[in-house]
Amino acid sequence: MRISRTWSTVLFLPFLICFLLFLVIPLAFGIYISFHQWSIFAGNGGFVGFDNYISILTPGTVFGDAFYNGLKNTLIFVAISVIPLVLISLALALLVNSIPKKFKVFYRTVFFISYAVSVTAVSAIFKWLFTGNGGYVNNVLNNFGIGSFNWLNDQPLAWIAILIATVWWTIGFNMILFINALDEVDENLYEAASLDGAGAWQQFRHITFPSIKGVFVFLTIITVIASFNLYGQTLLITAGGPGQSTQSLIMVIQQMVFSQNNLGIASAMAMAMGTVMVAIVAAQYFYSFRKQ
Amino acid sequence: MKKSKSKNFLILLLATLLALLFLLPLIFMVLTSFKALGEAMSTSSLLPKTWTLENYKSIFGITADVPVLRWLLNTAIVTAIGTLLVVFVDVLAAYSIARLNLPGKRFFFVVVVAALTVPTIVTLFPMFYLFRQFNLIDTYAPLILVYSANTMGVFLIYSFLRGFPKDLEEAAIIDGALLWQVLRFVIFPAIRPVVATLSVLTFLTIYNDFLWPSVVTSADEMKTVTVGVANLVQGSNFVNPGRMMAATVVATLPALILFVAANRYFVRSVISSGIK
Repeated sequence: MRISRTWSTVLFLPFLICFLLFLVIPLAFGIYISFHQWSIFAGNGGFVGFDNYISILTPGTVFGDAFYNGLKNTLIFVAISVIPLVLISLALALLVNSIPKKFKVFYRTVFFISYAVSVTAVSAIFKWLFTGNGGYVNNVLNNFGIGSFNWLNDQPLAWIAILIATVWWTIGFNMILFINALDEVDENLYEAASLDGAGAWQQFRHITFPSIKGVFVFLTIITVIASFNLYGQTLLITAGGPGQSTQSLIMVIQQMVFSQNNLGIASAMAMAMGTVMVAIVAAQYFYSFRKQ
Repeated sequence: MKKSKSKNFLILLLATLLALLFLLPLIFMVLTSFKALGEAMSTSSLLPKTWTLENYKSIFGITADVPVLRWLLNTAIVTAIGTLLVVFVDVLAAYSIARLNLPGKRFFFVVVVAALTVPTIVTLFPMFYLFRQFNLIDTYAPLILVYSANTMGVFLIYSFLRGFPKDLEEAAIIDGALLWQVLRFVIFPAIRPVVATLSVLTFLTIYNDFLWPSVVTSADEMKTVTVGVANLVQGSNFVNPGRMMAATVVATLPALILFVAANRYFVRSVISSGIK
């Protein structure tokens, strides 16, 4: 079927315009800004070459320390969050998948429901659960005579609180994708395996996991990306504290724009962060791809 | 493979306990919104001893300093128009790439897929600066427009169209149907499930987006409900659990209702669109 080039282009045009205006141009402009001294109010203050990049990558300077602190905290969060976010949702998916059919939809909905809750609502709830003075968790612990903890002002308690909030908020989506993948595993394989006397763990290892490996890799990658984008939870629940130990990279970049009025430095940081993310995701992708 | 009754019972018991644990934060949110200040700060019981509507009165009252309803209105406008825009733009583009004679379509397709890897933080502040230069901060424009560069949506619909036979369209064309008629009467009915998925995903993305709307709004009356709630959590506003949870309930309820209503359909669509 052939339809004229004109009509084909006309249909594509709205997307092309949006794509250029809200992705390509900002991307190119961001790269351009990162090589200039640039303030929100005064605009372009002149070409500075790689100076912004050198500043943020030099330890001991104001910008360098802020960047490395944000990067370190973000990497800590990626390291502690990706494994629980993927494995807990896989465990939940296996559980929901073994529920008798007529109840399955109900439980699937319950565990997926937090997907509809915004990060600010999640933060509001968990901040009141964990806050030191008058928080619900401490009230309950006091009631049992355990005493209260300074959840949001002590490490590693602050990371634990943020991790719990994030797990609650995001495992539903991962679980749904795992359930979809599990539904597509060939039932006959399990029957054959159980006739051969394979136990539950062996069935999981030799049948289930190989069948869902593609989804597993995909979910690990998007979870890494999501954890890199840590912002709302740390901004609202711990405000970057205690000290600056939960100050995420996006929080740092946001401060460079609004507190320091330095768009050049902020853009260089965003580019550096984007590069690290793309590099890690590409490494993950090629590593899992080559092993197959 | 038959499972024994007792095994099924144990699975259901475990799932029920986990479901209750999982719902606890939401139950806490709803029940705390009915507690008075003193009780909310000191109680260790979930159920309020004395139920009060004070918190809701304080956010809905005429003198309310928390304009939750205005925020909800903003969110409704932004999500409705934004979702329509994304669906419109993406369906046309996906059809154009999948079926029509688009010059350089292989190139465009590669660009669209490559764009999926661009992290949002890279474009966010340059975009903020550009909108600011055009005096569009505190208007609906930045809150709506930026979501339209949704390459994921194009990809989703494109994958779906590829698996859909061309025969019907060709028959329609032979019968003399015009392009818009093919789109309206053949393509659109066929891709409805994947459009539903894209709509719900886009709706929830816009509804719950936080960083971008917080950057491009400064006036209280232009905030979306997600940004508004964030203001209540921060700094000196963080004083009254009951009132805050009441605002959170009001902010969250519309999305939850949509989610539960569309869930059955939505979940199944995510299955079929899956990941390749």
